[in-house]
Amino acid sequence: MTKPVLTRLAIAVGALSIVGSAAADYPERNIQGTIQWGAGGATDNVIRSLTPHVEEILDTTIILTNRPGGTGVIGMSHVMRQRPDGYNLLFGAENPQLYPLMGLADFTYDDMHTVNIIGQGLVVIATHPNSPFDNFEELLAYANENPGELRMGGTGAGGLPSTIHAMINAVGDLDVRTVTFGGDGPGVTALLGEHIDFMPLSLSAVAEQIRGGRLKGLAVLGAEELDSLPGVPPITEALPEIESFLPWGPFWGVFVHKDTPDDIKATLEDAYEQAVASEGFQEFLVNFGGETLNLSGEEAQQYLDSWQSVTAWSMFDADAVETSPEELGIPRP
Amino acid sequence: MSDTVAYLLMAWLDPGLLLLTGLGVLAGIYVGAIPGLSVTMAVSILISFTFSWNINNALALMVGIYVGGVYGGSRTAILLNIPGTPAAITTAFDGYPLALKGEAGRAIGLSTVMSVIGGLIGVAVLAGTAPYLADMALEFAPRDYFLIAILGLLLVSSLSGKSLARGIFSVALGAVVGLVGMDMVTAQPRLTMGSMELLGGIHYVVIMIGLFGVAEAIYQLHNLAKIPVKQKVSKIVPPLNMVLKFLPLSVRTSIIGVVVGALPGAGGDIASLFAYDHAKRTTKNPSTPFGEGAYEGLVAPETANSAAVGGAYVPMLTLGMPGDAVTAVIIGALVIHGLNPGPMLMIETPHIFWFTVGNLALANIFLLVFGLTGIKLFSKVVEVPKAILIPLILVLCVVGTYSLNSNMTEVYWMLGFGILGYWLKVFGFQMGPIILGVILGPLLDESYRQAMSSVGNQAGDFLLGLVTNPLSLVLTSVITLVLLSNTPLKPWLIARFKRG
Repeated sequence: MTKPVLTRLAIAVGALSIVGSAAADYPERNIQGTIQWGAGGATDNVIRSLTPHVEEILDTTIILTNRPGGTGVIGMSHVMRQRPDGYNLLFGAENPQLYPLMGLADFTYDDMHTVNIIGQGLVVIATHPNSPFDNFEELLAYANENPGELRMGGTGAGGLPSTIHAMINAVGDLDVRTVTFGGDGPGVTALLGEHIDFMPLSLSAVAEQIRGGRLKGLAVLGAEELDSLPGVPPITEALPEIESFLPWGPFWGVFVHKDTPDDIKATLEDAYEQAVASEGFQEFLVNFGGETLNLSGEEAQQYLDSWQSVTAWSMFDADAVETSPEELGIPRP
Repeated sequence: MSDTVAYLLMAWLDPGLLLLTGLGVLAGIYVGAIPGLSVTMAVSILISFTFSWNINNALALMVGIYVGGVYGGSRTAILLNIPGTPAAITTAFDGYPLALKGEAGRAIGLSTVMSVIGGLIGVAVLAGTAPYLADMALEFAPRDYFLIAILGLLLVSSLSGKSLARGIFSVALGAVVGLVGMDMVTAQPRLTMGSMELLGGIHYVVIMIGLFGVAEAIYQLHNLAKIPVKQKVSKIVPPLNMVLKFLPLSVRTSIIGVVVGALPGAGGDIASLFAYDHAKRTTKNPSTPFGEGAYEGLVAPETANSAAVGGAYVPMLTLGMPGDAVTAVIIGALVIHGLNPGPMLMIETPHIFWFTVGNLALANIFLLVFGLTGIKLFSKVVEVPKAILIPLILVLCVVGTYSLNSNMTEVYWMLGFGILGYWLKVFGFQMGPIILGVILGPLLDESYRQAMSSVGNQAGDFLLGLVTNPLSLVLTSVITLVLLSNTPLKPWLIARFKRG
């Protein structure tokens, strides 16, 4: 009889000492990092470039695993099920902010703790060099005269092209055929082969194609021309009203379980802030076609809320989703 | 010019690079031989690991693993009837019967030499025609991928064994399983029965490990009492006249491999299926009937999947677009190392291109060396008592599946498919057509919907496209020919014509 009691006591004491020491010595072992998207994609590239800088600061190893599938639902729900001890990190993109709206899952990043919003990708609307259009205004004018004729590359409901399309339709009119591909890569391939007419893409996916003259940019999603893409006009030249949605871009962030001890959250936030600001990573991100945000705490929360509200409402206004963001408690921007 | 030669030979002359390429090939053979451990996974782990390395060192190791891994899949296919990679599925069809006849050593030797020949042809095509081949690959519209998928479905007749009806059933079963997951266009769950784990679909390697690994292991329990055949290990290196005899076939299947490999939407797995089918159709008098240990059935897939490696590098090096999953990860590695994979890569950093070409050739030479050594030991695997071998296979299947995405649910699926596969085997169904359906079902679904939405969902325009575009017309004609020559349709038509 005494034996089980003693064992239980020992386990309890042991557990307490683990909890007690966990925060002080964190991290005392390897950290598991789950990447929500597949190997070789944008999120994967950003995280694999950033991680060595964080490992140096925290003096530990972060073991990265890609857990793609279901627009990132599978990777995120995995991390949410792990113990809240700070040894399981989620590396994700913007998609979870739309899960309830798309009916994919009932959680968002609000159900986790944001360690850092690393940065966001710049967006460009691209076409092939033989296209008769030189800027987005010309394309828009043609599409208005010939509705439902141009072929736009997409990546499915909730993907970046569908969001941009919704934003355009929320303030203007763009009636096109959407051809859906499994991701940016297959879409760019189809655009190179002129099997589609244009596609909104993250700059990181097409910067090199544009520089090499295999594709041309019609507009950048922003209010000003980009230094890295001279000659490509901002989208506001064709659609001034779209400025109310800007700045907008797909983002990358680091998240932990909501119940992680506060001092571990602080250690992680510090480490990631330093790593994102490091010269090596900054150089990578600019070269990659992204811009730094490096947000944590209150600022990160504001960014996430505003991103969700802008995106959800523009999609709803363009009839791209049936659920009203209001039902989900997402306020209008 | 001298610069080009210098970069071409760089990996051959630098001891460090030589060592890394060799190490990569050796590691790749083992990674490839274990079902579930994939080259994609090995290469993506290497990215973080080689972050601080010189780019050439990192590339040399990755090239080595890639070449070794594609080859390694054939080892277990021949020895245990369990393909280590999807591209080695057809290798098992004739490789395993050879092992049962005591010719495992000869089969491995032949597959090694043929892999090297295929690999070198792939490298030669890459070096000589990369920009042209890449432009040709871009010509393939969604409509053409749809036709390729149809053509692939017709392979069912080659893969079904004795009963075509069972084969067609298996393909359909595979296609339905391949559709599970989130709908690509609408993001709605399909056949997931409300399970979040199924949103991402069932990975086809999970299904492959179950159907080929676990099902085969359980099936072997029937033969526990059977004493394994003593392996002949004296004649391992195939004689020159044998290699020469298969040379014309291997050149043809290598070209199939390199072209299919260069298509961004298809890789070594589909290439080896087409190559096997090609061998079966064009070989009038195989060494023994196909499926019972024909050397031709071993030569075709092994040359094609190795040649597909060179092919996959074509769009990657010329356009910065991946030819398959492995090259997608290597593109990520180039980005992290500060290079800009894209159309300018070959113009601004031509040394990367020539270094890779030279390195791929070197890796193939290492493959010849490592592939032909240690075969005697490997062949003995077949002679290991079943009571030891079967539990080992089951453990490897579980480890391999788990390491795919670190997901326990996938292990359960794998075991489930293993049990299903066992019963299907008992009732005379083949596993090949199921995997064919799993691979081609989603391609068919995706490309058909892309092709239809490109023409504004007008069925008439879609059908017209199949015969008005030159490339599509070629594919449509091939399909029509195959249908006419391989079904009772032709004699029936002729009979009708004569009567009428």
